[in-house]
Amino acid sequence: MIGERTVTLVGTRAVAVSREVGGITILFGQILRALLPPRIDGRELVKNLHKMGNRSVPIVALTAFFAGGLMVVQSAPFVKRLDATSLAGWAAGYAVLREVGPILIALMFSGRVGANNTAELGTMTVTEQLDGLRALAIDPIRYLIVPRVVSMMVMLVCLTVIGDLVALVGAAIVAKAVLNIEFGIMYGSFTENLTPHDFLHGVYKSLAFGWAIAVTSCYFGVTVRGGAVGVGRAVNAAVVAAAVSVMLIDFFLTYLNV
Amino acid sequence: MIQLHDVGVRFGARQVLDAVTLSVPRGGRLGVIGPAAAGKSVLVKVIAGLVAPTTGRLVIDGIDVTGFSEERLAPVRARIGMLFQNYALYDFLSVEGNVGFPLVRRGEPADRVATRVRDRLRAVGLAGSEAKLPSQLSGGMKKRVGIARATIAAPELVLYDEPTAGLDPVTTSKMYDLLRADHERSGATAIAVSSDVAALITFVDTVVFVYQGRAHYQGPAATVADAPDPVVRQFVRGALDGPLVG
Repeated sequence: MIGERTVTLVGTRAVAVSREVGGITILFGQILRALLPPRIDGRELVKNLHKMGNRSVPIVALTAFFAGGLMVVQSAPFVKRLDATSLAGWAAGYAVLREVGPILIALMFSGRVGANNTAELGTMTVTEQLDGLRALAIDPIRYLIVPRVVSMMVMLVCLTVIGDLVALVGAAIVAKAVLNIEFGIMYGSFTENLTPHDFLHGVYKSLAFGWAIAVTSCYFGVTVRGGAVGVGRAVNAAVVAAAVSVMLIDFFLTYLNV
Repeated sequence: MIQLHDVGVRFGARQVLDAVTLSVPRGGRLGVIGPAAAGKSVLVKVIAGLVAPTTGRLVIDGIDVTGFSEERLAPVRARIGMLFQNYALYDFLSVEGNVGFPLVRRGEPADRVATRVRDRLRAVGLAGSEAKLPSQLSGGMKKRVGIARATIAAPELVLYDEPTAGLDPVTTSKMYDLLRADHERSGATAIAVSSDVAALITFVDTVVFVYQGRAHYQGPAATVADAPDPVVRQFVRGALDGPLVG
């Protein structure tokens, strides 16, 4: 009896997840189709770039600064024990550029921008604003979704680059404060040991994370059912789906060493 | 002319509309009445091309538009104006932006749009509200902005979903006076869904009573209170006793 119930539960969950994955795939296809040829509403694009990017800079900078500093604090005992001050910058920079920076900034971006995007689109859906656009012969995918997806992808890359820079500065400041390592030594450690590929690896990841956050947040926004309660549920689902997608993508991109 | 032939709509297991057949001549005014959740709003959305019929055909001016893609529906929708039950005003635009939106999207010059918006807002009694945001408006004001937006591009067909819900009786009368004057001037076809039957029949010439997803009764608006069907009579008169279910 319990076994039957478990199978039913697992089956129901599997069908629900498949439905969401299918829906996200269809939306992605519609976005690609709307981008060929690329006719994006310029005003919506600029508005979203500003809203999603500029306003995220302070929180991303703060997160990145402490992430960089944290890498140094974590490695401090080993650096001291091995007297490997020349490797402190490499250790912090490698972790920040390739992994910690893109992941942390993406999760921050998902919580701030992705959740907001789902709530906004969800509210527009339940108040019939998307139908209102369609009634005026305006394709909501082209008018609303495409500018948001492009903005999120572009801005997450920009924020990751800014965050990387701030994290390295944070690492250097904390290294001076905690380990008394001079800025020049840290700078040398960064430039001699880190390669452009370390930086680009993080940038590629952020591009993929931006795509995942954008598409999932838009999907859960436009498929909201059930008024304000439904919007809350959709935001929750979007944040969870984005976090899971980010982790999965991160695993595969790290494994492939793109 | 709008024609629905045996139109059915199913959402999952629920049959919302079932074999609805009706026609509205060019310039005609049809009122859609019926109990809550009878399928009235869905019927209007089918006509606007926002909900695809599961069965049956939708014919607009002799063209069968059933199954048209969004792209192919675009020119049909460009001839339709619609007022939504929940207003559907764009939160990110001011009153002026909302009302002028259909003209802006058609690429009309800004000065012409501004003039038309001012005229329309004056007509619905909202002159001077151009800069306000939808969140700053009362329900009645939102409704009037929605009507201004639905009619600003002089559409050939205007669909009104609950045009006077939430309005006081005096504003309701004013609103129907405005709609009547608008349609007499433009000659546009109108389809209006309303729960306020008494007010609605002052505007429309024919009514269809939607009941349990079916077009249960169609007849002249003037005599609907004396319709031969007892379900319709009970609904229109608001009687507690009778055969009406739900």
